[in-house]
Amino acid sequence: MIEGWENMSSSQKQEVFLAKWASGEGIAFADDEARAAYQYRAGLIRDAVKLKKTPDRVPVVPLAVFAPIMLYGYSAKQAMYDPHILGKVLVDYSRDYDVDATFIAPMVMHGPALDVLGYNLYKWPGHGIRDEQGYQFIEKEYMKSEDYDHFIADPTDYWLRVWFPRTHSALKPLAQMPPLYGTMELPMAGPWLCTLGAPPIQEALKALLEAGRISFEWIQALGPYIGQTFGSGYPMCAGSATKAPFDALGDSFRGTTQLMMDLYRRPEKVLEAVERLVPLMISMGVGGALANNNPLVFIPLHKGADGFMSNEQFNKFYWPSLKKVILGLAANGCMPVCFVEGGYNHRLEFLAELPKGECAFIFDRTDMARAREVLGGKSCIGGGFPVSLIITGTVQEVEQETRKLLDTAAGDGGYILSIGCAMDEAREDTLKAFIQAGKKYGRY
Amino acid sequence: MQDLINAVVEMNEDDALALTRKYLDAGTPPLQIMDAYRDALGIIGKRFEEGVYFVPELIMAAEMMKSASELMKPLMTAEEGQGSNKVGKFLLGTVQGDIHDIGKDMVHMLLEISGFEVKDLGVDVPIQRFCDEAKEFQPDIVGLSGLLTLSYESMKQVVDALKEAGMREKIKVIIGGGQLDDHVCRYVGADAWVNDAVAGVKYCLKWVGK
Repeated sequence: MIEGWENMSSSQKQEVFLAKWASGEGIAFADDEARAAYQYRAGLIRDAVKLKKTPDRVPVVPLAVFAPIMLYGYSAKQAMYDPHILGKVLVDYSRDYDVDATFIAPMVMHGPALDVLGYNLYKWPGHGIRDEQGYQFIEKEYMKSEDYDHFIADPTDYWLRVWFPRTHSALKPLAQMPPLYGTMELPMAGPWLCTLGAPPIQEALKALLEAGRISFEWIQALGPYIGQTFGSGYPMCAGSATKAPFDALGDSFRGTTQLMMDLYRRPEKVLEAVERLVPLMISMGVGGALANNNPLVFIPLHKGADGFMSNEQFNKFYWPSLKKVILGLAANGCMPVCFVEGGYNHRLEFLAELPKGECAFIFDRTDMARAREVLGGKSCIGGGFPVSLIITGTVQEVEQETRKLLDTAAGDGGYILSIGCAMDEAREDTLKAFIQAGKKYGRY
Repeated sequence: MQDLINAVVEMNEDDALALTRKYLDAGTPPLQIMDAYRDALGIIGKRFEEGVYFVPELIMAAEMMKSASELMKPLMTAEEGQGSNKVGKFLLGTVQGDIHDIGKDMVHMLLEISGFEVKDLGVDVPIQRFCDEAKEFQPDIVGLSGLLTLSYESMKQVVDALKEAGMREKIKVIIGGGQLDDHVCRYVGADAWVNDAVAGVKYCLKWVGK
């Protein structure tokens, strides 16, 4: 614990955590040069998110999931089933593309663990999609409308005994398990323990153990590559991830169609549910950030984008709980980085409500000139480069567009050059051109 | 039936259903009730276009329409149930390799509200299937949906396949999705690209001369 932590403001805590991260403490660097490179790169990001004028240039952080894997000629399936392939790509990509913060390799996940669990929430290579493709979410009504009260009263119990059985086929038997509260007293502990012994539940728990075992093996195998990446001077672009409560409810529980109807059919339940998710989403973000000693908490935003709902609905159902998550993360010294998917042209004024320099926004299709105008001096902004140009454009077009974007959005600090989506594919020439142009024209 | 129209337009789902029942019980011809719904949908579509209504209202409208149709279908002849005066035929689907359907479903609803006959092939639709269905259905417009960047390639292949089959001249192609823009449109060889459903429907209405 840092001295005086309890008495610090959110912003001071963020400064401390960011400084700790950017110092590279605890990392086994290859040499002093690598240490200096790490501190320089992380320092660019630290200064950008805290709205300090960067000493010499904008940080260049293209977000990616499967793109690096494809760039090195591997399939998504290979990366999801072989941690050595994933690890090698992480090391090579960080070095060859020389990014200021590299992609989060563990986000690629480990296929065998999903196989054991009978994971139904996504399709992944070999499970419903081609080997070359990155995973895709399957949105369904995993939570029924009549489940709201259970969810609100006790999200963890709901998660464990209702949602798990519906989304992981190997965990279906957990639906038969009683709640664990009887364990508080010896005479009442029996039903829970006895049920755990029932053969189907034993099988489910075995599956969970097995998924855990192989995931542990996987991260043990991947760990050294991550260490090597850090050690050669490349920080990672986030320490953890969390969600906006409305998106958590809409994406993984109710589904878009159902949730949108809920806004009319049971608005009070929606409000209670998103409120209930606030502390959960904060602790999820903070926990991962502390474990990884990286204060950047990635929050992908989905269903509050322009077109999804009116400003009035956004202000009632989406924004208040997200704002609480952002402020809660900041109060714990984390730096929330919202990845604003789609367009947010009608929402920028809401984002401007946040205290200065406590949250960063990476935009996808938002007008970057307006973003700069509304948020400049208030929050760090980033993104806005179209992935389409990386995939279909020429080197020259990419250079021009990068330059144009920097002129529009870089201001005099508080900007991260990024691509408007987490790339699943890219081209070597254009991506390198983007990164190099960013470093060349992004000088202050 | 202004009360019914208002109930639908103002998203009062329970009232809308109760009024529908009331009119049916009073012997109102189902076709007249359908007309009231159509008027309501027209107003909803307008509000959507004006940026007053959004996805929640569109979904609610589709849901109310569905409930009403279920009540009335048994009372209508097949021909009446089909509806008439379609403004055009639209073949729709999410392209091969992509399973996203929210955007596609929005477009589907809006197109129907706007009077199109829509054939929706679902998600992850193989290239050849678009071609085969286009031959069979003879659409005025083919709409290709995709959220992932890998859909660029699939979209291009559909357009190429339509060309090869000699159908491209007669059919307009529109692509829709979050990561589409001019660059992609040129690459795919489509006639238009959109990031939102309303803009898409506007193109389509223009193309069929409405």
